[in-house]
Amino acid sequence: MGLFLWLTPLLAALLSIIIKKTKLLHTVSITSAVLLLLLAGYATMAVTAQGTLQYPLFWSLFYIDALSVILLDIVAVITLFVSIHAVGYLNEELREGTLRESKIRLFYLLMHTFLFTMVLALTVNNLGILWIAIEGTTLASTFLVGFHNDKHTLEAAWKYVIICSVGIAVALVGIIFLHLSSVELINPDRALQWNVLYQNAERLNSPVLRLSFLFILIGFGTKAGLAPMHTWLPDAHSQAPSPISALLSGVLLNSALYSVIRVLSIVNKNLGDSHFTGRIMIGFGVLSIAVAALFILTQRDYKRLLAYSSIEHMGVITLAMGIFTPMSIFAGLYHMINHSLTKSMLFLASGNILQKYGTRNISGVRGLMKVLPVSGTVFFLGLFAISGAPPFSIFASEISVFLSAFAEGRPLLGGVVILLLAAVFAGIAAALFRIFFGDAPESCQSGETNLPGAAVLILLLILISVSGLYLPAPVKELLTSAQEIIAWNGTI
Amino acid sequence: MSFFTADLISGLISNFIQFLLILLLAPLSGGIIKKVKALSQKRKGAPVLQMYFDLWKLIRKESVVSDTASWIFKATPYIVFAATAAAAFMVPVTTLVPSAISGDLLLLIYLLALGRFFMCLSALDTGSTFGGMGASREAMISALIEPSLLVSIFTVGLISGTTAVDQMMNTMKAVGVPLLHPVYILCFFAMIIIILAETSRIPVDDPATHLELTMVHEAMILEYSGRQLALMEYSAAIKQLIFLTLLVNLFLPTDQLVSLAGISGAGAAIPAVVIAAALALYILKIILASLVIAITEISTVKFRFFSIPNLAALSFILAFLGFLQYFVLGR
Amino acid sequence: MDSYFDILSALILLSSFLLVSHKRIKSYIKTFRIQSALIALTAGIMGIDSLIREGSFDILIVCVIIVLLKVIYIPRLLYRTYGTVEYKVEKDFYLNIPLLILICCGLVVFAYFSVSNIGSLDGAHLNLQVVNSFSVILIGFFFMISRKKAIGQMIGFLVIENGIFVTAFFSTHGMPFVVDIGIFIDMITAILIMGVMVTRINEKFESINLDKLKNLKG
Repeated sequence: MGLFLWLTPLLAALLSIIIKKTKLLHTVSITSAVLLLLLAGYATMAVTAQGTLQYPLFWSLFYIDALSVILLDIVAVITLFVSIHAVGYLNEELREGTLRESKIRLFYLLMHTFLFTMVLALTVNNLGILWIAIEGTTLASTFLVGFHNDKHTLEAAWKYVIICSVGIAVALVGIIFLHLSSVELINPDRALQWNVLYQNAERLNSPVLRLSFLFILIGFGTKAGLAPMHTWLPDAHSQAPSPISALLSGVLLNSALYSVIRVLSIVNKNLGDSHFTGRIMIGFGVLSIAVAALFILTQRDYKRLLAYSSIEHMGVITLAMGIFTPMSIFAGLYHMINHSLTKSMLFLASGNILQKYGTRNISGVRGLMKVLPVSGTVFFLGLFAISGAPPFSIFASEISVFLSAFAEGRPLLGGVVILLLAAVFAGIAAALFRIFFGDAPESCQSGETNLPGAAVLILLLILISVSGLYLPAPVKELLTSAQEIIAWNGTI
Repeated sequence: MSFFTADLISGLISNFIQFLLILLLAPLSGGIIKKVKALSQKRKGAPVLQMYFDLWKLIRKESVVSDTASWIFKATPYIVFAATAAAAFMVPVTTLVPSAISGDLLLLIYLLALGRFFMCLSALDTGSTFGGMGASREAMISALIEPSLLVSIFTVGLISGTTAVDQMMNTMKAVGVPLLHPVYILCFFAMIIIILAETSRIPVDDPATHLELTMVHEAMILEYSGRQLALMEYSAAIKQLIFLTLLVNLFLPTDQLVSLAGISGAGAAIPAVVIAAALALYILKIILASLVIAITEISTVKFRFFSIPNLAALSFILAFLGFLQYFVLGR
Repeated sequence: MDSYFDILSALILLSSFLLVSHKRIKSYIKTFRIQSALIALTAGIMGIDSLIREGSFDILIVCVIIVLLKVIYIPRLLYRTYGTVEYKVEKDFYLNIPLLILICCGLVVFAYFSVSNIGSLDGAHLNLQVVNSFSVILIGFFFMISRKKAIGQMIGFLVIENGIFVTAFFSTHGMPFVVDIGIFIDMITAILIMGVMVTRINEKFESINLDKLKNLKG
């Protein structure tokens, strides 16, 4: 049953090659997204009941536990929303004539392949295959980033594929060293399998493992957009079609961090504490937040601004994983969920704005509330949410990260990060809040064009507001068990 | 008179014989290279022994000296020849025979450098433009190639714990096949580039050209004629053979093969057969090395003068990597 | 056996130095091909060894794949890509070559100090091989930074990949077979994608000089 998780997006990708009719393509895409959501639901239930979900097939490649199921659920939910929004988005592009009908097949083919690699990354046991899947996400999404095939998107796509491939290559070095640290302990048939490594973590060769962690953090960190390896991210996120930006930001960054977290848990278990990994991860986290804050303050392009905000939030999650207390890990995972939902909502809304105004420049957008009543409102509230204002869910998770920093006895760290986040808030407010008011340019007609997209936005908005106030017990339980996987038995 | 022991005398004699051998063989390797190049161009080419005839012809001719030249110009051929011959005295052809004088590799290098220094001086001395140009180029090339030469010598010297040529050869003999060793193979490649540069072979300098833009070594000896020219040409040939001998004796030692095959080579009485075999192998190796040089010359083109630093850097890197490999290997 | 690997690792390192010292794209491709052939030779020796000892064909299959992909197919692909883009001899690097080579030399020293002190790499041969192959990775990175042209960057990426591959070979006798195959698939896809991108960049920017890709900033 779980294997259908792989088959659904693959099948959808295959169908996208065969089918020529645009409407049918939309149907296939949405059906597969719904199926994916159902399967993810099944996997969630299985994991809550049994702890893990694995099959002995294919060298026991398939493996899901609480940690991966959380990310899988994020993927499934966001995929559904994005595919609904994409229908409206693509139709609008077709209507405007910026897109030829034949390219829709390519779009869906690449999108489903992208989803397949992402799902694969989250459901494999073997860290080598995990690496292959993460590299696969880069390759599948390169042409999505360069979809419009003009100078700017081409530049963004080239940077994306080169920087990420090289970064990922660094991670491969790390994986080789991980293999080296275990090569004498573990049966070659089970080499690089995460659960085996995790069980034998104490006996692995520590110096090699340390080196391996450094490479893996830098490698997958590149893919997760941690500063100073983040340079591809603003370009790719701003130049990609908006549904793809939502996927990149909401899902892809998470899967890259997920890979780091998997290795992190092994390394910390081996070393017995988190001093070594903690220092490095906190360093990268704070640096990412600082760099993002700096660039947000001077940003003139709203999609780039959102991209930098993604860097900032990846920094917050890395920071939380670096602090490595049960509370911070819990908060970090929770923040992952919240950021994904909020950021993909914002990117989808920004897609509507871009289609309406035809510019990415903040100065070119005025009177958004009148022109796009739904998207405008969602964008407005979403900006509050992303900059960490209550009552939205990001506030809840971000504040727990800081509190855990204070509780761990690092008031300086907590203080610095709070200051940086205040700067981010100020930057976003100063840059963006003027776009909602004033007089719209004459060329813009008011009214939503992407109706399914608008519906999706409202759903997402409800989701993030509700989860900020109330966290359902099953989710909490899942997060707790994921946290126990990362920090073995909750002891540090 | 206990200073002149029997050992010393026999050592001196064998040194002297090896020295004569090198002097005798020197024009041969250049002849081989020229012949191979000619054959590769579908020419018949001059006979292999042509250089002997040339030298013989030049010695009998009178030499013409420019009016403006000072004593340096006249003395240089003799100084160069003396320095080169002294260097040749330090290079053992085989380790199987006793030797009284163990030459130091650094001394050898700087004897050759002395010769080169006077060559540059004499080239400047006549006041001809070609000479000045050749001298400045020669100085630059030798300055560029010097670091890699020293590093590769030091690497081999570090391993053998000495810079005495014959003891280094003994160490390499003990290694067996040095070319199957990462340190030595890198030094070997470095050495080949060094030889190409030091003996004015093609990627660096074209020995066959008389085109003013490209010549280096030829430009320096352009003003010489007759006996003096013969000495200069002969010194260049000896220098080339010295380098080739160092290359093959250090990196392709064959003496151990002979002593294995020979009938108990140890002890005072070494059978003449063994020595003959060693010498035959040596000549074979020299021919082989000349072939390698010839093939390199055929398959490359002369570099622009400003590309020579690239070549020098590459050879330095080879030597330095060899040096580094030695450390990494922790031998 | 180990001494062969020592030499091969040294030669592979040497080939990456040769790559750095080249000026023209065609010579890059040729040197890359030589390097790949050396790697295939390493894999071949190791494969025959493992066939004799354990009777497994895995490494030999990997060797065949390397020959087909890296020695034959990818260089040909690169030549073809190079043929489609506009032919212009331009300076392709920022610093002069001797300096590039000296910097790479520094990278080897750095690799020596960073890798050779790991506890488990106590065997001298293993140490040497891993230092050499790790240096190849670093030189690959440096090659990418130092070249302006898109194809140069592709070659740099391939050299990094080669370095990683030999590091894996020398340190652990190869990754698990499935992983190796997956890496090959990823690599060939990446190169195909980059090749297409180079052609497109050449169409849009009328050059493959990446200095022109400077529109996106901030």
